[in-house]
Amino acid sequence: MSSSSRSGAGVPSSRSGGLPAALREFAGAHVSFLIFAVIAALACASVPNFAQADNFAVVVRQSAIPIIACIGMTMVLMTGGIDLSLGYIVGLSSIVSGILAKNLLLPAPLVLAVVLGLGALIGLANGAIIQFGKVPAFITTLGSGYILYGVAQIVSQGSIVNRLPAAFLAIGRTSLLGLPSSVFIALLVAGIFQVLIGSAAFGRRLRAFGFGPKAAGLSGVPVARINVSVYCLCGALAALAGLLLTIRVNAAQPNMGGGTFTFEAVTAAIVGGTSLFGGVGSVVGSIFGVLTIKIIENCINLLGVSYHLYLAVQGVIILAAIVLGNLAHRRG
Amino acid sequence: MAAAALAAFAAVGSLVPHFLALPNLLNVVRQSSIIAVCAVGMTSVIVIKGIDLSYSGLLAFCPMIAGLMMLGGVGVAPSLAAGAAAGVLMGLFNGFMVAQLAVPAFITTLVVGQICEGLALLMNGGRSIGGFPDSYVFIGNGALLGVPISDYLMVAFLLVGFFVQRKTPLGNHIFAFGGNDGVLRQEGVDVKRVQLFVYGFSGFCVAVAGLLLSAQLDTVHPTQGDAYQLDAIAACIIGGVDMAGGSGSVPLAVVGALVIGCLRNVLDLLGVHPFMQNVLVGTIIIVIVFMSGQVRRRNAMATRGTL
Repeated sequence: MSSSSRSGAGVPSSRSGGLPAALREFAGAHVSFLIFAVIAALACASVPNFAQADNFAVVVRQSAIPIIACIGMTMVLMTGGIDLSLGYIVGLSSIVSGILAKNLLLPAPLVLAVVLGLGALIGLANGAIIQFGKVPAFITTLGSGYILYGVAQIVSQGSIVNRLPAAFLAIGRTSLLGLPSSVFIALLVAGIFQVLIGSAAFGRRLRAFGFGPKAAGLSGVPVARINVSVYCLCGALAALAGLLLTIRVNAAQPNMGGGTFTFEAVTAAIVGGTSLFGGVGSVVGSIFGVLTIKIIENCINLLGVSYHLYLAVQGVIILAAIVLGNLAHRRG
Repeated sequence: MAAAALAAFAAVGSLVPHFLALPNLLNVVRQSSIIAVCAVGMTSVIVIKGIDLSYSGLLAFCPMIAGLMMLGGVGVAPSLAAGAAAGVLMGLFNGFMVAQLAVPAFITTLVVGQICEGLALLMNGGRSIGGFPDSYVFIGNGALLGVPISDYLMVAFLLVGFFVQRKTPLGNHIFAFGGNDGVLRQEGVDVKRVQLFVYGFSGFCVAVAGLLLSAQLDTVHPTQGDAYQLDAIAACIIGGVDMAGGSGSVPLAVVGALVIGCLRNVLDLLGVHPFMQNVLVGTIIIVIVFMSGQVRRRNAMATRGTL
């Protein structure tokens, strides 16, 4: 709590003393948590029926699947890239999982393995084109997104696969402690990636790569492997999200996910403190990012306002987060 | 490049029935005009090492404003002006975020596009609107001396874009910025103004394209822009606009738009489903950007010894 612990030289030490400095220090390190707390407090105070245990469970349940996708997007944004195909991987893995589980009657673990493999393979292709083909990430994933969307529509033959087998639904619907298992899958994924990004060598290399690929390469970071594996992991996580979404609505459809889901993942990651310039990002921050935007979505629903407002509001939030981050960056 | 396009055109013409019929060709050009007007704006954005992903939202947002005003009894001219102004404002905002706050272009334009799509949906509860005044629909479907008005507009934008790029100091600055913005800054040029202009002009182009599209359809649908964004980027890339910035010509991007228009039309005539067409266009984009990158690197390697 000492005022000298702030590493930035921009704030004169004479001005920062006592509580405000401590607050500012805390705020600098936990922006995503603060935004979450403020939004949650506002919602509790002003939206009727928000502050109820049932409703909190709804928010948690709705956040679980986007958290999985958002962790993938966070890693991609940390490299300084973007994955615009994320939502379309969700759609393709949705229809594929439905066809495998219902039409081909494959056992549930095999469906899970095949869909995760498919997502990883798509991500691998994205990463390879970006890393070795030197095609910008937004072009590669914009193009592959359209390709995947088309493929998903062709695979589905324009129809929806619903009433899926019970064994397959059990992956995400088994009730534990009053919450569906998809919430615990999301927690498990978050835990794994917290270790991977937070404390493993992978995370250090990823951050080094994000701050400056050239410097990272010169200091011995396996640049190509890091960059490709990030897209690969993001693809696998998107596929897992698609599978769990399919289970949640009990219908496999190629339109699932899409551009709005991609955008949600980007919004949550940025609200969660991920830098647009690469190198900075965390799993915990992204979880708070998802919870924040899901609370806002929840409030829009509770207030009976048009869902379309949610799209526009997300955009405004993202811009606010960018501008605030920019101001903080300048001051620090 | 132009010869290859002509050869492909002739080959396709002899293979696909009805493609070379005059009504079909005029129709292709009329449909391509939307992509072409978008491509004129997109070219300069890509030349300054940016990208504009707000097209899908703006293509619906601007005509939605104009359409609601027209249905509300406002005259056609002020309504169109308001729609175009909305596009310019959004474009300027993109430029501000990129120039002033150094936000990556693909993020800020994606966000603005999403906001605009949300607003377009919100303004009329997600429904489409139609039944516009005749004079507005005439812009999209009418003809002057046997040539559709849309085609005149396309040529006008081509000429304006070409003139700005090649004949004005601003055009020089745009290319210089794409080549090396650091040098341009050291020369004392206000690079932020260059960026603001490019994104603002891009917003204007896409607003006009959206208004034109809605005039052709006599409808504004809140998600009508989704297909055109990919086509506009593809048109630029086919027209040889370099994704690495610094080079790109407006006339060739318009040729790229015509190529995309022909491609879509031929695939339609052959009965290929639009989803399959998107798969093809997506593949074309990635392959061409990949190949142009390879060529650039090989040239760089080849000249390394001589410099």
